[in-house]
Amino acid sequence: MIWVWIALAPILGGLVYGGERVLRARMQRRLGPPFLQPFYDMFKLLDKRTLIVHAPHALLAVAHFFALWFSVAAIFLGWNLLYIVFLHLIAQMLLILAGYSVRSAYSHLGANRELLMLVAYEPILILVAVGLYLVSGSFEITGMIQKGNYLAQLPLLFAALLMIVPIKVKKSPFDVGEAHQEIVGGVEIEYSGVFYEFLYMSRFLEYLFIYSFVFIFGGESVWLGAVLVAGVFLLVNLVDNATARVRTPQMIKIIYMAAMPLAVLNLVWILL
Amino acid sequence: MKFFIPFRKKSPWILHYNAGSCNGCDIEILAALGPKFDLERFGVINTGNPKQSDIFLVTGPVTYRSRERLVELYSQIPEPKVVIAVGSCTTTGGVFRGMYNVEDGIDRYIPVDVYVPGCASTPQLIIDAIVKALDILEAKSKEIEKPFKLFGAIETIGNKLSRLNMAKKVELHEKN
Ligand code: SF4
Repeated sequence: MIWVWIALAPILGGLVYGGERVLRARMQRRLGPPFLQPFYDMFKLLDKRTLIVHAPHALLAVAHFFALWFSVAAIFLGWNLLYIVFLHLIAQMLLILAGYSVRSAYSHLGANRELLMLVAYEPILILVAVGLYLVSGSFEITGMIQKGNYLAQLPLLFAALLMIVPIKVKKSPFDVGEAHQEIVGGVEIEYSGVFYEFLYMSRFLEYLFIYSFVFIFGGESVWLGAVLVAGVFLLVNLVDNATARVRTPQMIKIIYMAAMPLAVLNLVWILL
Repeated sequence: MKFFIPFRKKSPWILHYNAGSCNGCDIEILAALGPKFDLERFGVINTGNPKQSDIFLVTGPVTYRSRERLVELYSQIPEPKVVIAVGSCTTTGGVFRGMYNVEDGIDRYIPVDVYVPGCASTPQLIIDAIVKALDILEAKSKEIEKPFKLFGAIETIGNKLSRLNMAKKVELHEKN
């Protein structure tokens, strides 16, 4: 059964992404695209003529997608959370390498930003894993979701996680990585056709990845987890519609000055 | 493949290029993309990246400086693709016709599928043009489409393409 879910993960993420586009449109009081729009895009991209810069560049996108899929699968299987964070790191490194492997200045700029985003959110993800371990006594996700009440003991850590969700799903105010047309998609710039599709689908998987961290905070109660995910989803989109983009150094400063102390404070509080 | 063809119509991504226009039509395009006219309900995304676009929206009468970019952007869009000339000055030269530093319309350089009249053309007209372009996009094959004119012959160093030398040639062309 779980293998079916893993196989369907990109489709699941696509539904989330489609729902999000409709939701954002409704927040701006417009109609928005159809709910299944991401899949229409995917089928269209399959049929486009594909331009390749060089083979490793194209293959790195595919590798990035499968590495990300693997880390999402590991979450579904309930493996070690710390292990999953590092698996995800590998996926991101592949993307950054792809960004540096072509000569386009925008691609380099995008890869730089991707790297800085990694610097911003990676410590928080690790601290979240450690915090959950300190409360539940296990790094395994299967162990974590058998205990309840993380929210009562890790409220500040949850707030820190909340601050990095927009970085991961590339939403304002922390959407420097994609930045609409400012850097023309950053690392995605030289991709087209089928290979762009892999990057497009890996965006769906990012949604599943980061929202499953939110879900774990629900603990043993699936309903609490679902409510948390829905609430964070709404909040992130609301903030996305209401704020402007901050610059990359500002983003790092905000994360290190606000989210990091919150997370560390929470850990110290648990340990004392 | 036949299966994929209907989906072309459902997710047209556009690339917008200003080839020296007065900005009137650009603002109308943005208005069409904005919440009031909401082009996104057709699945349109304004990508800004030629390699991922299907529809090329051009405004402006093509100044000498923008010719090379226009042709370059056009040839970077993978097939199937359609070109929409938005505004009178893009189709015929409009108010700029006969000026010393512009070409009269983009169809001297690239094949155009849909012409939109008006100075400035309204968002309603632009939406109509995109809907029309979708029919053309669906009927097109994946044949390679070439621009009418290319600037500067291919220049190579060793056996690699040299963009620098090609760009220098264009500058020479512009001076003369
Ligand atoms: S058609 Fe008129 S309004 Fe539109 S770009 Fe040209 S001069 Fe400006």
